[in-house]
Amino acid sequence: MRRTFMKSVALGALMLGVGVSSALAQDNFPNKPITMILPLGAGGSHDLNARVLTSILPQYLGQAVIVKLVPGASGQTGTAAAASAPADGYTLLFTHNFYDQLQQHVKELPYKTTEDFVTVARTNSARMCAIVRSDSQFKSLQSLFEFGKQNPGKVELSHSGQWGATMVPAAQLFNWAKVQVNMTPYRGGGPSLRALLAGDADVTFQFPSTILGQGDKVRTLGCVLDEPTLGSPPTFASLGYPGEIGEMHRIVMAPRGIPADRLAKLREAFVALQEDKTYQRLISRLGEDSNLMSGDDYEKVRVEQSKDYKALVESMTSG
Amino acid sequence: MEELFGSLVQGAGILFNPDTFLLTVLYMIGGLLLGMFVGALPGLTTLTAMAILLPIVFFLPPIFGIPFLLGIYKGGIYGGSVPAILVSMPGTGAAVATTFDGPALTRQGKGRKALEMALFSSVAGDFTSDLVTIFAIVPIALIALAIGPPELAAVLFLSLIVISATGSGAFVKGLLVMGIGLFVAMIGQDPIGALARFDFGIFELRSGIGLLPMLIGLFALSELLLSIEKRAATYIKAGAKALEGERLKWSEFKASGRTIARSTVIGTSIGMIPGVGQVVAAFVGYAAAKNASKHPERYGKGELDGVAAAEAANNAVNGPTLVPMLTFGIPGDNITAILLGAFVAVGMRPGPELMVEQGPQVFAILLAMLLANVLFVIVGYLTIPAFARVVRIPKSILMPLTIMFAFAGVFAVRNNPTDLYILGAFGVIGYVLRKFRFDVAPLAMAFILGPEIERAVGQTLSLSRGDLFGYIAFERPITLVIIILTPVIAWYLWRRSSKLQREASALAPPE
Repeated sequence: MRRTFMKSVALGALMLGVGVSSALAQDNFPNKPITMILPLGAGGSHDLNARVLTSILPQYLGQAVIVKLVPGASGQTGTAAAASAPADGYTLLFTHNFYDQLQQHVKELPYKTTEDFVTVARTNSARMCAIVRSDSQFKSLQSLFEFGKQNPGKVELSHSGQWGATMVPAAQLFNWAKVQVNMTPYRGGGPSLRALLAGDADVTFQFPSTILGQGDKVRTLGCVLDEPTLGSPPTFASLGYPGEIGEMHRIVMAPRGIPADRLAKLREAFVALQEDKTYQRLISRLGEDSNLMSGDDYEKVRVEQSKDYKALVESMTSG
Repeated sequence: MEELFGSLVQGAGILFNPDTFLLTVLYMIGGLLLGMFVGALPGLTTLTAMAILLPIVFFLPPIFGIPFLLGIYKGGIYGGSVPAILVSMPGTGAAVATTFDGPALTRQGKGRKALEMALFSSVAGDFTSDLVTIFAIVPIALIALAIGPPELAAVLFLSLIVISATGSGAFVKGLLVMGIGLFVAMIGQDPIGALARFDFGIFELRSGIGLLPMLIGLFALSELLLSIEKRAATYIKAGAKALEGERLKWSEFKASGRTIARSTVIGTSIGMIPGVGQVVAAFVGYAAAKNASKHPERYGKGELDGVAAAEAANNAVNGPTLVPMLTFGIPGDNITAILLGAFVAVGMRPGPELMVEQGPQVFAILLAMLLANVLFVIVGYLTIPAFARVVRIPKSILMPLTIMFAFAGVFAVRNNPTDLYILGAFGVIGYVLRKFRFDVAPLAMAFILGPEIERAVGQTLSLSRGDLFGYIAFERPITLVIIILTPVIAWYLWRRSSKLQREASALAPPE
């Protein structure tokens, strides 16, 4: 009895396999596992996002997606590896906008991200908020700006690393407000938050999910978008800041030159993934949202980003 | 205080609930075994295992999922010392100090003793530090907040002094090797401005020298090269009767009691400094044991006490490391970041609110850590014979196998072929240095601590806004005290170690 049960299970699995492979036989892509390169290290938020993505994606692609961590040189090692991979759709790059569009204005790179990569999907984004300690003299961003204008260099800002996810929005915001702040880099968001709590820093930028855990120890002065979970603090746009600021986009890229039908197939899979209930549940467990942006739409965002970042870097480095 | 005690009792109620307790134990044992496995194989890291398995935790109730991850964490740290003891292959910086005496013991046919000493001293250090953490979580949290970049820089500098003052061999030679380590660490990007430097125009060097290829090259590969040269006569002592060796005797463990206690105190204190805690603790614990010993000359030649000193110290870091994560929601390193992710996933958001709102759950997890230690003694004790059997493999197979694992493991970590060249290069560098009787440990230590010191000093300069002296003198009293104490401690240590060395050379028969 038990043996027949096992047999029927095996048979069912086999038939399922045949069914999937015959459905895919039409264009035959993908017929082997896809590698997703992360230019980042183990255990970071991209890694955890990738683990969730790759546990659900096979349902929509019919093939396994393997995470390959290639960290080093602020993402350059992994990005270079993906740039030199064949444009056949079997190698993808899971990165973010600061590596994708900002870095080229700061460093000499052995690849050209815009020419070398095309967007498959923006899987989600993480949005920054500016926070101070709850006993801080600054009750609003305006009061912080005013103090900073009268006392150049006096406001101490902690961030998660040079040209990284919390440094760039901070630089964009204070640059726009013409406030000169003293910026100190820390190794990641955790240590930069410690600096704020310990009184080493006056202001820092964090993700809403982190701020939520701090309870009444910190005050949120402003966020890039409306954050109802934090009591809807003012958005940067409501202060008059023009353009995009403070979002870290998690993006899946493919080497440019990938056949159009394969790119379309990959893009479809990510759209379908977004509707998947298990995916939504897992990603929310990470404290992330699942606001997909299609590859086509994100291509337009990249162009704008590049201009903004170029202007930012020029104004920061010219003096 | 009373409230905390109430939470502790309730926490015990959650953990020891008869309906779930058995399953909790089973998940934890599963985690421990898995952790030991990935920790023992170079290239498979505890961190990667935890990142891959985190989604599983999303589907489990917290009382199973979190202990499972804690099991991987604790098992992984011990697992790392297994190849360090058997084949001189440290998988992490924390295991480097274990290679000073572990492999020498293995060669003398005392591999099993060394493994058991590592296990028991690890667990003793870990258990005590967890216990301290449970009862002193609030003061530890305050101390963690008080250690900023200036204090970190001062503490790391003091550690470098302490370790080098009690190192083996000539002082000048040690400094020279340390200088090489500091330079090697600077290849790549600087930790403050992320600018490329010393890459000699080679793109592959922009990411810097990887820790694992450097460590395995320097310690394991150079050891193999030396053995091949001597036709492997010394790799593992030939003709030892019972190759797995004897078990650890109670009297031997008791003899290291003071060392374990000292290392536990050192490890627990250093544990409040996130990130580099384990490496520094193991080195300082080892240096302190050597300094206090009546026979410092035996250290580095197969002293059981040396294994105990390093292992108790690096494990005692574990308890306090979790405190900033639990109390402020601030992860100190990537492993605690994953634990943070797991906590959030099961509905516990670490931060100031957590202790107030979910105090019992927090204590249930802390108690689970204590339980993990108890289980670990049992799991470890039962698995050691299997590990110890490695030395029974004939040398003609073990040595090529070790080389294969070294290269495969190093490649697996970053998937970067450059790392293989780096591994080979450091194998040769280690071989040459050892040939000329240089101690390679200062190189590894400077390599690991160099960037940390550079970052902390850079941050301090940024924080001081140009007035470094005024900033430290008037705004950083703790830093000032450490800076003043540093030369005093260095002088004392130097006097003591040179006196002991004189006595030892007077007593020892001429070679």
